[in-house]
This record gives sequence, structure tokens and C-alpha cells, in this order.
Amino acid sequence: MSSHREAPAISKDPVADNTDTYAFVSPDDPDTVTIISNYLPLEAPFGGPNFFEFGDDVRYEIHIDNDADGAPEITYEFEFQTAVRNPDTFLYNTGPIGSLDSANWNRRQFYTVTRVKNGHRQLLGRGLACPPCNIGPASTPNYASLAAEAVHKIGAGHTVFAGQRLEGFYVDLGAIFDLGDLRPFQNLHLAAMAAAHGVNATHDFSVHSIALKVPKHELTRDGTAPKDPMAGKSVIGVWTAASRRHATIRNAGTGSVHEAGNWVQVSRLGNPLFNEVIVPLGDKDRWNSLPAQDDAQFVHYVEHPELAGLLPVLYPGVFPNLAKLTAARADLVAILMTGIPSGIVPGFQNFTGSSPADQLRLNMAIPPTRRAAAKALGLIGGDPAGFPNGRRVFDDVVTVELRAIAGVTYPLVNKSYTPDAAASLVTDGLGANSTRYLPHFPYLGTPVGGYQTKPLRAA
Amino acid sequence: MSDQTRRAFVKRSATAAAGATVIGALIASEADATTSEPVVAYVRGSQISVMTGEREVTVRDRRLAAQIIRAGGN
Repeated sequence: MSSHREAPAISKDPVADNTDTYAFVSPDDPDTVTIISNYLPLEAPFGGPNFFEFGDDVRYEIHIDNDADGAPEITYEFEFQTAVRNPDTFLYNTGPIGSLDSANWNRRQFYTVTRVKNGHRQLLGRGLACPPCNIGPASTPNYASLAAEAVHKIGAGHTVFAGQRLEGFYVDLGAIFDLGDLRPFQNLHLAAMAAAHGVNATHDFSVHSIALKVPKHELTRDGTAPKDPMAGKSVIGVWTAASRRHATIRNAGTGSVHEAGNWVQVSRLGNPLFNEVIVPLGDKDRWNSLPAQDDAQFVHYVEHPELAGLLPVLYPGVFPNLAKLTAARADLVAILMTGIPSGIVPGFQNFTGSSPADQLRLNMAIPPTRRAAAKALGLIGGDPAGFPNGRRVFDDVVTVELRAIAGVTYPLVNKSYTPDAAASLVTDGLGANSTRYLPHFPYLGTPVGGYQTKPLRAA
Repeated sequence: MSDQTRRAFVKRSATAAAGATVIGALIASEADATTSEPVVAYVRGSQISVMTGEREVTVRDRRLAAQIIRAGGN
């Protein structure tokens, strides 16, 4: 998946598993940027009685690089605290939850937002309430309005939401993890079967999201809102992470845990699928533990992605030009690790210099495309407001990255290369209508209630 | 770690080599402030990381490290 269960260690620690990162100019508030960081992959909405929540023992982070050095100049930290009203019941709620302060809601969660900007810490909000999970019509009868109560205005013009959302990332996991099968083209696969429609494996699953809307001028290096798309200061690098404390001591006979020491990063994510598809098994856990500015050591994995070698094998005769392409993939390095320099795509750049780092690079001076005209294929679909110019919630990043790895973007750096005809057609067969979104903050859709969910009724 | 053992550890720390003075000060200050706050020591070779709350101090002290290792029955 994008980065759900993508590495051996973090797959055993879902509360800290950073699954997706989004960064885009807010379509309904274009003087701001919205950044969303998701955790807790594949939440089954009926997963009670201990419904999903953030970890009180995890520090969640959003990082911003605004001077192209690969390191964060701004970090937003989110720390959570759970409050139990009544420890003498097994119930999450003892009646309908009609408001965030409902006496019927037994296990609530609150959080603090701190901004660290050039070394200075500033508390932006504390005691901020999360919404409950969507349980069902008896427990959370007006869930959308209940969740809307958990959108908070906090310091320095920021708006924040932290809580359960409908999964926005769509992907045909069942097929892709079955030896790279793409159902619309599986008649051409080694294990040939009749071509079929894609199946969204994440249908109706939920995640836990931290969504933050920030005035653009709070993110730039000079404190002004960017206007010129070709100016370097218009571009920010965004990635997100989760950290745990250095030491954990489990106390026998009490069920309690003691934690101490520095915060140690256990998960991170910039571009979708980076650690999942680009980094091999032996390096995935280490990659999750490293800061983005140390990513130069992983450039060779991007230059020679394993999947580019597999496609011609799995689809015999379909990718003859890709099979012969052995040169380092400078196109993928630009897309994933440095940004695209000016002069490659007319009127566009999101270059952050030669320091390679896995970041979403957002050119904030590119205006948002109205939803009806937006292309889920983003930049390769002719829509510069979409991935890899940041990432919007509905962008079809699986297809974009499949096509890029298949060679469709290589002519950007080598005009003599002719991509295979299939390179511009490959897809897992899904699109932005595979799930549902909101037209306003926090943009990811309202999660489905546990009662209403029919397990594995994938679209 | 029991209180008795922790006090002994603090006492040994405070009287150990120069590097250990840092550890002793950290542990002693925490112990004075809140005796209920546990202290975690992580020893790798001669390097000792002492963690209490969100604070962590790392020093190299071969003698103190050896004492801790011996206390662990090694």
C-alpha cells in the first residue's frame, strides 16, 4: 500500500504506522496549505470494544523543509492523552454520543499541538478533542456533524483535526501483491487470466488522520505568501513521521508500561510507496528510523527500481523498451528525491536542490485546480496542482508511479527514449471515484460506521 | 528496580569517575524530585545511556559500566 504495513518492524506497530501523507493548496481556502498525515492502517470500522485511537505513547510529527537542505525548518508535534470516564465498564460508550463532551462517551482522547520553528517551540493548542470512532446509528447517530465539532482553530491561523477518517488511498492490493497482477491487463500476465476490473482493497476501511491547515506565509522561508511558481522559495518539502521513546519497560503483574528517554523515529513517509516499493526488505526498518536528509544512501534504489525490472518479466513482450533501459532513472530521482527542475515541464518546477530526500514537494504558488477539472493523474495528466506537486487526497498515485516506473517519464531526461505503448496505459483499474471525499477541511471522507459496514464488500 | 537498589545505584554513580558525575547528578536530581520516577540505564560496552522521563544522558565510563554489568550477574 502507500505505506501501510510497508516494513517488517512497523507492520507490528499500527498505532505508529504512518500510512499516507498529503500536502496541497487548500482548494476552498487557497491562501493556505493543508497537510494530512495518516496512521493506523486498515481499521475495520467495527473493531470494538476498544475502538481505534492514537497512541498516548507516540509523538506524531509533520516536517517542513523550506530552504532545500533536506532537513526540517518547521516541525509540528502532536501528542495525545486518553481520558477514561468510567474504568468499571467494558463499554466505549454507555449511550448515544451526541457531542464531544457527552457523558455517554467513556474513552475520549485529547491532544496538544506544538510548532518547532527554527529551534523555537510554540504551543499552538492544547486539550483539543478528537471525535469518537464511527460506531453505528445507536451510538454515533449524527457522525458527520459530531466529527465536524473536532475541527479546531488554533494559534497562528492554523486549523487542525485529528481523528478517524475514511481511507482515501485506493489500490487493488489483492492483485498487486499476487505477483504484480494488474487486473485490467492480467490477460498479459505470466499467470494469464481474463482481464477484469480493479478491486479497491481499502474500500470502507478507516484510518486515523492528523489534518493541519496552515497559512502559506507561515511555511515559507521569508514569511511571505509565494506568488511566483518559478521561484525557489515557493516550494516546500513535506514529510511526516512517528516516534517512540528510547526505552520501554513492561512491568510484570500490573499490565503497566514505563517509557523513558529520547524520542526515536519509528516511521516516516514523504512520497507514497517509497519505502513500500523502492526500498528492499533488508533496509526498510532502517529507512524508517533515519531522517530524510540522510536519504542520499538510498538514491541507487530509485535509480534502478526493482519493479522496473519485474514488469518485463511479469508481462512478457509488453515492455521491450523498458527491458533494455539500464541507465540510472534520473526521472524518478527528480520526481521522488529532488523535485523537478525548471525547464523540464513548461511553467512548472518543484525543485528543492541537489540534497536528495524523500519528501512531497509542493509548489505553493501553483493555484488549486477546481475539483471538476482536476486530473487524478496530476502532473502527468496535465494538472500541475496534483502529484507529484504535493499530493491531493484523490490523486491516483498508484497509476502515476506505475506509469513513471514503466518508463513514461524517462523521456523528460532522455528524449531519445521511446516508452513502451503499455507504459502510458498501465493501471490497477481504480480511480478517484473509488472512495469518497469532502470538499472542505479535513477533505478525507466521513468514516463508515461499524454497524453499517459489510466486511470485504469491495467496490 | 527497587528503591533500595536504586539508592545504591545512585550512590555508586555519584562517587564514580568524572563522566559518571553527570549521570549521578541526573539520577540524584530526579530521585530527589520524584522518587517514584524510574530510571533506565542502557549499557553498550563502556557507553551508558541513563533515561528518566524525556531526559537522556549518555556518557562513556568503563568502570561504571563494568559495575552495572557485574550487578546484572554477568
